[in-house]
Amino acid sequence: MEHVITSCERIKIDRCRKERAGARNGGISTGASSGQISYDRLVNTAADIGYLLIANGAEISRAEESMRRIFYAYGAEEGEVFAIPNYLSVSVNAPEGRPITAIRRISSHQVNMNRVDLANDLCRRICRTKPPFDSVNREVRRISKLPTVTLPVQIIAYALVAAAFTLFYGGTAADAAVACLCGAAIKPVCWLLEHFHVNQFFIYLSASFIAAAITLVFANSFVTLNYDRIIIGVLMNLVPGVAITSFMRDIIAGDMIAGVLRFTESLLVAAAIAIGAGIALTSMRMLLGV
Amino acid sequence: MEYLSCLWAFCACFAFGLVYTMRGKTLAFASLGGAIGWLVYLLFGFVREDLFQYFVATIATAVYSEILARVMKKPATEFQIVALLPLVPGGGIFYTMEYCVIGNNEKFMETGLHTLGIAGALATGILLVSSIFRIGNPPYRGLKKE
Repeated sequence: MEHVITSCERIKIDRCRKERAGARNGGISTGASSGQISYDRLVNTAADIGYLLIANGAEISRAEESMRRIFYAYGAEEGEVFAIPNYLSVSVNAPEGRPITAIRRISSHQVNMNRVDLANDLCRRICRTKPPFDSVNREVRRISKLPTVTLPVQIIAYALVAAAFTLFYGGTAADAAVACLCGAAIKPVCWLLEHFHVNQFFIYLSASFIAAAITLVFANSFVTLNYDRIIIGVLMNLVPGVAITSFMRDIIAGDMIAGVLRFTESLLVAAAIAIGAGIALTSMRMLLGV
Repeated sequence: MEYLSCLWAFCACFAFGLVYTMRGKTLAFASLGGAIGWLVYLLFGFVREDLFQYFVATIATAVYSEILARVMKKPATEFQIVALLPLVPGGGIFYTMEYCVIGNNEKFMETGLHTLGIAGALATGILLVSSIFRIGNPPYRGLKKE
């Protein structure tokens, strides 16, 4: 969350600096209605929308297509865009042949479908009505500041996911209760580690370790529990479902690099989860003799 | 009561949608997709070949997501990410790891390959449906020049 805001602020500062530079050079007129458009602002607006889409979990092809359509809507004849999950660049040729390029590094990812939805709607509206850049920028800023799910709600949701998946895999009500507890326990751990900028794989590894360790402690005292179903249910919270779904969609859309990146990510996350739970299983066997 | 698991699939998808900040109708329909996918998996239980069941269930969820995306004018991924979750082989990953830890290499290889097979079935299902739905609606590459 903090990442997104700081990046947006950086974008804003960059934009101000660019506008000032443009004014010094006797820059181009602003506002789309006056016939001539500001290519600097067009490039920045397109990059902002692409950033918003990719940072919140949209597919690469959607982000690229949105940026191309924005160029086309404002009449920029030669525009090129390229994006992979953590980088995007857009480039337009201004009428006098001067190329204008913007690059965004997408350092943090999250899945926020509400923002993707709104950014997608905004893009459709831009292509239909070609609003002035000021109002588009305002809207982009508003969408990128929309609240994410708060930590307490996330803890409850994690607990629910764990309980529901435990029941789904054939666990009993007692199993679901333990899963609920473990699910609620892993979210604060993830949050804390993210807060300290620990790398993603170590976060998955420790969350999975903690889930399995708590479950095995419970299973040691109450022998009727199905420890395997509880652990699977809790770990479904961490399983890379998004990466598995979107890598295939990216590859079909022709974004091979993005697809391969996500495929590698899903393999690494799966390995991290397995290693975390594996450490818990072996150490608990040695300590408790489960 | 085998079909009760569809209800749990719905609940799990609903909670996951909350984590992904989905709202209102989108959330409800995406979770319903998860339940439908699992129902299709169970209905095809008579073939006794779970890779095929996973494949058909993935096709069902993917078709459901693509149709809903066109009806509700929302990105198809939104529905698909959530609806596919019950089919993701979380159990396979866990049992593979457990056999590895125990040191049962035969079972480890067997379960591991089976899990990979399930992941492959999901990927193939998505590939098939997504490709078919893209026919006549090509990706918007490059700008047309007058």
